[in-house]
Amino acid sequence: MEIKQYFNIIKKRLWLVLLIVVVITAGTGIYGFMTNTPMYTATAKLVVNSTPSNTNGEPANQLDLGTINSNIQLIKTYEQIIKTPAIMNKVAQENPKLGLTANQLINSINVNSVDETQVMSLTVTDTSYQRAAETVNAVATVFKREIPQIMKLDNITVLDQADPSSSAPPITKSPLLFVLIALVLSVVIGIAVAFLLEYMDDSIKTEEDIRDVLGLPVLGVIAKIKEEDMEAKNTMPAKPLVGGGERANHT
Amino acid sequence: MPTTLKWPLITKQNPKSLIAESYKGLRTNIDFSRLDARVKSIMVTSAALGEGKSTTVANLAIAYAETGRSVLIVDGDLRNPAMHKIFNVSNDKGLSNVLFNTAELEKNIQQSRTMNLSVLTSGPVPPNPSEILGSRQMEALMDEVKSQYDLVILDTPPILPFTDAQVATPLCDGVVLVIKAGGESRKDIAKAMSSLEFVGAQLLGAVLNQANRKTLASAYHEQ
Repeated sequence: MEIKQYFNIIKKRLWLVLLIVVVITAGTGIYGFMTNTPMYTATAKLVVNSTPSNTNGEPANQLDLGTINSNIQLIKTYEQIIKTPAIMNKVAQENPKLGLTANQLINSINVNSVDETQVMSLTVTDTSYQRAAETVNAVATVFKREIPQIMKLDNITVLDQADPSSSAPPITKSPLLFVLIALVLSVVIGIAVAFLLEYMDDSIKTEEDIRDVLGLPVLGVIAKIKEEDMEAKNTMPAKPLVGGGERANHT
Repeated sequence: MPTTLKWPLITKQNPKSLIAESYKGLRTNIDFSRLDARVKSIMVTSAALGEGKSTTVANLAIAYAETGRSVLIVDGDLRNPAMHKIFNVSNDKGLSNVLFNTAELEKNIQQSRTMNLSVLTSGPVPPNPSEILGSRQMEALMDEVKSQYDLVILDTPPILPFTDAQVATPLCDGVVLVIKAGGESRKDIAKAMSSLEFVGAQLLGAVLNQANRKTLASAYHEQ
């Protein structure tokens, strides 16, 4: 019975719930599809591997754990260095055909160390895969060239460049997911609004309300008249009184 | 011409329906609502617009007329008259004409198609409805028709926006308040009630109109 009452509250304001659902879902859908431009990412990988020199200036042969760890730590420093105008201004200047400013470059690039290894990945997101690839390669090249001057360490090797001529699928999620989320959310909101309105509605609804709240005797209760009420449901072929005339006599 | 759904004369069109039965029940309850005096004139009003006053008046009048009593409906709603629409009669003549003495009473009362039921429509709408309802002429007219008919039912404008119903209160033996289910707030209806009580109205009781059929059914089970 309780559930039935709740159900009735929703049923009563079903149009409102549906309106909310349609507006929110359609709004999200339209906004989602209108603003949805596919984004592509291109990645270049660099290896950070400082080869400690011994006193003779010859490279030492062995790698020890401490060096590896310090290289991993270095990646964090490099990330910050890459994301400065010091590097990016050079990239922008040297690659005018990208048409990007230093700040745009900083915003579009992402630097990560791959799974705590000495491999550092640079990822650029752009609306065109080709441009993303060219950008990431430009950044990698400039960074490799500039880092010895900045850090006094020549320990960057470009491992893998992005290929501007290949193609990649866009990474942006389909707006369909957002529409689905909006759908679920709007149903919840709609139902909440329906219950809120029901809670705030203090109109008189039943005989008891009149008696108890207003203290007035109830002389009669007239149900809502529906179309079918106007037609007699008799087995007799009695016609409804048309024209308000006298009752048709079928005898 | 069949009555439209907007103005359903259900007691006439489908006298065996449950709703027609409810109007008969309403009639019985009004008859028994006053111990001290027989109710010979009823004013029907509501707190706000659109609660179903005029439909109630028309169907209740038919229910009364069916008992063989002579019934007159007076359309005192000079702001938004409806009786001529419900009974599909002319409104060229009516209450306002009588009060301005342009014609005699008998000539202005129209016979409905229901036996024993007559209608005094509003007549041309005057600019000062509440003054008219409160006039001596109105009082004299009501006395006159009360002596001629077994029952007079007066339709009036809603209480909250207009003072007309308050002014007309002394003209009748009792007031029936039509309350639309899910309509006005409790506060507004209580306000309407107190403004009626302020002028000394004999509130016979309320009619719950457009009630939910389900709550209606459960109410019967509980009894």
